[in-house]
Amino acid sequence: MSNLGVDTGGTFTDFVFLDDGRLTCFKILSSPANPADAVISGCKDITDTVKGLGLVHGTTVATNALLEGKHEKTALITTKGFEDILEIGRQNRPQLYNLAVEKPRALIPARRRFGISERVTVSGEVLEEVDRKELARLLDQVKKEKVSALAICLLSSFANPSNEQIVEEAARQLSIPVCASYKALREFREYERLTTTVINAALMPVMDGYLTKLEGALQGSLLRIMQSNGGSVSTRGARLYPVRTILSGPAGGVLGATEVAAAAGFKDIISFDMGGTSTDVSLVKGNIQTVTETRVANLPVKVPVIDIHSVGAGGGSLAFVDPGGALQVGPQSAGADPGPICYGKGKGVTVTDANLYLGRIDPDYFLGGNMPLYKERVGRYLAKLARELKLPPEEAAQGVIRVANATMERALRVITVERGHDPRDFTLVSFGGAGGLHACALARRLSIPRILIPRNPGTLSAQGMMRSDVFHEYAQSVLLKLKDVGKKTLPNLFAPLIKRATANLARTGFTPSKIRFLPSVDMRYEGQSYELNLPLNLKNLMLAARSFHSLHQKVYGYAHPGRKCEIVTLRLRAVGKTKKPRIDPWQPSRSKSTRPAARTGSIYYRGKSWPTPVYERDSLLPGKSWTGPMLIVEYSATHFIPPRFRLNVDEWGNLVISTPEQKGS
Amino acid sequence: MRAKFDPVRLEVFKNLFTSVAEEMGVALRRSSFSPNIKERLDFSCAIFNSQGEMVAQAAHIPVHLGSMPLSVQTAIKEVSTEEGDVVLTNDPFRGGNHLPDLTLVAPLYVEGGSKPLFYIANRAHHADVGGITPGSMPLSQEIFEEGIVIPPVKIVRKGRLQKEILEVLLANVRTPNEREGDLTAQLAAIKMGQRRLPEIVARYGEQQVTQYADFLLSYGERMVGHCLKAIPNGSYYFEDFLDDDGIGGPPVKIAVNIEIKGSRAVVDFSNSAPQVKGNMNAVYSIVNSAVFYVFRSLAGIGVPENGGCMRPIRIVAPEGSVVNARAPAAVAGGNVEVSQRMVDVLLGALAQARPDLVPAASSGSMNNLTIGGWDPRRNRPFAYYETVAGGMGARPFADGLDAVHTHMTNTLNTPVEALEYDYPLMVKRYCLRPGSGGKGKFSGGKGIIREILALTDVQVTILSERRKFRPYGLAGGEPGKPGKNYLITTSGQEKLLPSKVCLRIKKGEIIGMATPGGGGHGKPGR
Repeated sequence: MSNLGVDTGGTFTDFVFLDDGRLTCFKILSSPANPADAVISGCKDITDTVKGLGLVHGTTVATNALLEGKHEKTALITTKGFEDILEIGRQNRPQLYNLAVEKPRALIPARRRFGISERVTVSGEVLEEVDRKELARLLDQVKKEKVSALAICLLSSFANPSNEQIVEEAARQLSIPVCASYKALREFREYERLTTTVINAALMPVMDGYLTKLEGALQGSLLRIMQSNGGSVSTRGARLYPVRTILSGPAGGVLGATEVAAAAGFKDIISFDMGGTSTDVSLVKGNIQTVTETRVANLPVKVPVIDIHSVGAGGGSLAFVDPGGALQVGPQSAGADPGPICYGKGKGVTVTDANLYLGRIDPDYFLGGNMPLYKERVGRYLAKLARELKLPPEEAAQGVIRVANATMERALRVITVERGHDPRDFTLVSFGGAGGLHACALARRLSIPRILIPRNPGTLSAQGMMRSDVFHEYAQSVLLKLKDVGKKTLPNLFAPLIKRATANLARTGFTPSKIRFLPSVDMRYEGQSYELNLPLNLKNLMLAARSFHSLHQKVYGYAHPGRKCEIVTLRLRAVGKTKKPRIDPWQPSRSKSTRPAARTGSIYYRGKSWPTPVYERDSLLPGKSWTGPMLIVEYSATHFIPPRFRLNVDEWGNLVISTPEQKGS
Repeated sequence: MRAKFDPVRLEVFKNLFTSVAEEMGVALRRSSFSPNIKERLDFSCAIFNSQGEMVAQAAHIPVHLGSMPLSVQTAIKEVSTEEGDVVLTNDPFRGGNHLPDLTLVAPLYVEGGSKPLFYIANRAHHADVGGITPGSMPLSQEIFEEGIVIPPVKIVRKGRLQKEILEVLLANVRTPNEREGDLTAQLAAIKMGQRRLPEIVARYGEQQVTQYADFLLSYGERMVGHCLKAIPNGSYYFEDFLDDDGIGGPPVKIAVNIEIKGSRAVVDFSNSAPQVKGNMNAVYSIVNSAVFYVFRSLAGIGVPENGGCMRPIRIVAPEGSVVNARAPAAVAGGNVEVSQRMVDVLLGALAQARPDLVPAASSGSMNNLTIGGWDPRRNRPFAYYETVAGGMGARPFADGLDAVHTHMTNTLNTPVEALEYDYPLMVKRYCLRPGSGGKGKFSGGKGIIREILALTDVQVTILSERRKFRPYGLAGGEPGKPGKNYLITTSGQEKLLPSKVCLRIKKGEIIGMATPGGGGHGKPGR
């Protein structure tokens, strides 16, 4: 039973605790130097009174170690003649028109990359076996380098790992974490397999140290770790495959948004999470979509990840006028330090400053009124920006918001229109601190009919984690011509994967009746160099494989029914269904009737000032409806409902806002 | 009535136009067939104003940047288009780059309009357009050896596909099914633009949309003008050489004089060699792209991709010279090799003016390798094409990057495991080339060694450069090591091959390529 979700973020660590149907959410300041400290101190109060707690934790230790280069010293053993693939990459540069462009630095320098004579063909034939004497010499050299982890990645090991296994076996004597590529990612294309294996190896000691500390402090609780695919995993799994935990925070957000919206009756949603430096959007059409590759620190990582599109526009994004006279916002951000002008230190106008200037943030309520905001500072710097733009300050501030909105609108277009989805069929689920100030404007631009803002929007990610299932993922490249696939081929190939999954999940306490298998294959036409993932039906694997043509038609707009196809990679996701304790509808605690507006403010919107009532969120009770303009304030967020938008509050306490009919722009 | 310039709206319109171009790009990529388009992203989509000036582009390949407008302007000039028409062309002497790049141009009318408001266009690299060798990149001496030449013609007339034209095209290429598929994808992208652009016009009004298209062009002009102002006034000359003309002739001079005056520049290639007999000739659109690439890279991040950027720059490239060849010259090496040397001389000249910004010469070749023949395992013909990266020139503030595609190209490699699966070939070695980067205070990047074993008898074509003339260093930095092509026989003997070569090799033999390193920057320390 899981009833506590903990999500570590850059500034705050969020906690969501479910006790007898009631949710409690709180935030405490993160402890970046030792992230476990904040987690432990937040959990302590609860774990001291509740025993047998099920705890799901989304951690950034792996991601941060990678981004900050604080991963452990690692060595690599690879096929001789191919030691530099980590540096060569795919030969391309990350930016076209930048003479100062840099490639990500190789995680392992040349002197810790060792080549061994051996060779396996792509069809799995061993042309040259590993020489034990050469291997022993190599391992001696590795030992001298005093590394904390070892990665092993030999050419074509996905087809036949026997050479890799020989090296792996012998490397045990080093007594350090070892990661062999056939275990981390049994898929073809050497560079992506290599980076994934190397990153995983380098993170193994980091994750182990972190989890050991947590487990020591939280004895008596069942701890699971969130992964980027939207499922969680045992601490043992996280120790073996720390690379799968990167991007788990945003994954928790999509999970939380999906669940909250589903409870409110909306299955097709766009999750919209606007933070300080970036905005994450994801499209959920009934199911959460995953992809099999992402990038971290500019390196490709092949792990299943929820399909999230991210753009560099957030509350902290900086506005400036470029040499051509255009107003730009982001991607540079004021970050946490110096932060926006209104926090007291910054000097560059941010989106947050613009919102404050236009009256859309109420300084008295910001973070529950605990954080002073310096509105007069904003006026000074904004006047300077306005002069450069030759606009009145209000128009300049509105301009900053419009330009930021234009960037976010493009992100939303990428995941909807560009992928063949009509935004009118979706509900925009907005969370994160700044989303509620922009969601209505974006919904109107894209004709999204409805916006849903859940309760506790600042801790939704932790809530999603708390209720996650356990996901184990298995993959194996097979490179099979479809014509060579007989009736028994796929069942025979999937059988060992299913067996392994069942055994691994049993270890974490899942009986076979609690396990669901989701097999799929990556397929392509012969001669193509990209694949489509095709979900299979476990009962009739072949039938589904034959529907490749129609999937191709759907995704790419055409098919070649006469052409030969091939299966490149088998994938199996094994889902351990967790018990999910009920969540009760929202029970307003303090008063039984909707209270009137706390006060009336003035908001500048579309060229004029509007008298705008300011409501505390908890004073808006289910069953009533309102019409904008209105400002809604709560502990971790502020929401602006522009004129003509209609607001309802549902039984769960969600704000459900209807976009008015369009009348031109 | 002119709309008042609003810096906020400008940014909003920049986003709108770019997103239309990008959505066209997604439609093209999604419905195309060949890996060249889908994976290597060798295509571009763009929107042009009624005069054929580019308003916005979704581009992945620098060499398309400056050249698409020329194809569009030719189409406007030579074909009288009506609503529902789409023009097809690949003629390098009328705005194209080289024959494999097929360009589509369509006028965009809005309801009740008598003149087109905009033009939309896209260009994609097709894997084969006929000619004497598969892939249409031969060691040719005439354009006719390189494939079918298509002048601007209507492939769609008033909404109806012109089957006869399509059939003539398909009868002249090696892989007609794939070509038809990719061309259909290009037409789908045009349709996407034809749907999305009128939506914007409906929302903001014709007046405002065309006005802001103009504002965007002058915005691009100001941005590049601003960059030119940061270069001291003066005249800067530089010259360098191609190893040969493509068929073993003498070195070929590429020379440029750049004159900077305030926010304007004149870029004059008059001192370059006359056009050559082999395929190492460029056409005008390639000069345009190379110049655009260099100034855009100098201007820094944030400069829009539009035609306004070229307004402050005048290019002089005499017709009949190696940088602006006349028909029927062979041009297969122009797009991939001459373009790189143009960038080298442009940067070499500008290094005198902005020594703080400009890097030393990068590898300066796309190192084109084609291996083809009969695959006995699969019982079918095969053709493998690859460009191998080299070292980047050292920057005045940092080492050059190792093993990376520079300047006019940025395509991905073929993974070793994918190559061995698809072709009767085996990679024996794929690593950095030690000592190939020029020494300096900052060193040039290292090139690559790639050795491929033939598992059956095959035909090999290599089109490469910088095998004689080395990538130059700057400020006392040493030049990068020249490249090297070689054959290792079954007895282990290494035989040197020329920079451009077409030969048959036997099963068990190895073809090797060691690509040039980048030049160094600053005097090397002790």
